[in-house]
Amino acid sequence: MDIDDILREVDPASHGIPLETRDLQALTRLWVAERSAPELLNWPADGLFERVNSKIKSQIERIEDMTGDMDPKTNFALIVIQTELERYKFLVRSYLRTRIAKIDKHTLHYLSTEALRQRLSPTELAYATRHQALLHNHYLSSFLSSFPQRLQNLNDTAGNVSMIDSPDLDTAVFVRLLRDKDVYGKGTDVDTILPAANGDVLIMRWSSAKGLVEDGDAELV
Amino acid sequence: MYGDLGIKLVQHAKRTQNLAHLPPYQTELVRAVTREVRDLNKDVDDLLEPFQGSFDPSEDQAIAYTLLVNHISMRRNKRCLLAYHRTRTDKLEELVWNGVDVVDLSGQQVRDAGASRGNTGVASGDGSTSSLSPQEEDYVRQYGDLLAAYKGQWTDIDLTGSLEPPRDLFIDVRVLKDAGEIQTEYGAITLTKNSQFYVRQGDVERLIAQGYLQKLS
Repeated sequence: MDIDDILREVDPASHGIPLETRDLQALTRLWVAERSAPELLNWPADGLFERVNSKIKSQIERIEDMTGDMDPKTNFALIVIQTELERYKFLVRSYLRTRIAKIDKHTLHYLSTEALRQRLSPTELAYATRHQALLHNHYLSSFLSSFPQRLQNLNDTAGNVSMIDSPDLDTAVFVRLLRDKDVYGKGTDVDTILPAANGDVLIMRWSSAKGLVEDGDAELV
Repeated sequence: MYGDLGIKLVQHAKRTQNLAHLPPYQTELVRAVTREVRDLNKDVDDLLEPFQGSFDPSEDQAIAYTLLVNHISMRRNKRCLLAYHRTRTDKLEELVWNGVDVVDLSGQQVRDAGASRGNTGVASGDGSTSSLSPQEEDYVRQYGDLLAAYKGQWTDIDLTGSLEPPRDLFIDVRVLKDAGEIQTEYGAITLTKNSQFYVRQGDVERLIAQGYLQKLS
């Protein structure tokens, strides 16, 4: 079974799957989506990461318990668990780092409105605020403080040029449809409406795909 | 000419992007560009002074254009300065993420860069020839603290770990520099130069990043 099968199986209706499996699937999906989307996506609000963290903790403890055992059978199980743990940790790490990279790139943009701030987790918000303050201080002490007062801002929008850089929402992303739907895509010359079936993979602008992904009609690949 | 110095800064920044190490901070250039901005601003004030705040651009077009050019030049210089500093801080942040020691970062990275490219000519270890400005050193220190604070929320994950997907639990490594003895779950290993080991990746990740070990594929 490869990752696509796993992802396809994710269905809110399937309560037969244990919570742990669903968490892992949710994490994998979040990771894939975060890596392909040009802008920062919402931080999962349902306590997914608290659960993931406690799982990792308990696995680490389990490994510590098992290490003392010299039985070759446990040794084998140990390797399996450790490998799984490393992979789990990699998913979380890569996910968090991707988010941090995006936040660092467009800090002021994500701090500018309340709606955008909501996308960050509390720790990320603290990090972003502090990082921006550090940067501003650095600029100030390096050169900005000797500038005339009205040129000291970092968020000027005068002259139709905003100093706040924001992510390009029109970049292309690949999405896979999760149900049959007519997909509306914005084009360079003409907008098109394309009938697409469940499982189709399309390439389209993120600005057009965003709604589909948020409604659960499609997922990023 | 207005902006000549600004473009130099941007060129420096551009070059920095492709370098393995951080070139010395252009204190003189930064100061000169800042001075240019101050001079321009003074010109603007001088030009506007006789009008006492009742300047009408359509009446005196020559002055209006001068003002416009001055304003645009100032903004451009500011952008150049911001771009230059941002490029450098990005570079510094990358170093912090990679776990380069912050305290003796300034001298060390020049040596590191020299060593990795195999030429021994560049050696400037003492603090007086640091390639960082004092402000940058402050910044690095504070950013390091910030990162440590953020990482503290995720102690089990080790955020600065490898971003390569883990393939095998155990890997072959060769020791490049004596690293002394390390403790693993399977007992202590003494890492002496040129020896080879089959170890758990998680145990030696740090040492690989610091250049003590080399991963063999």
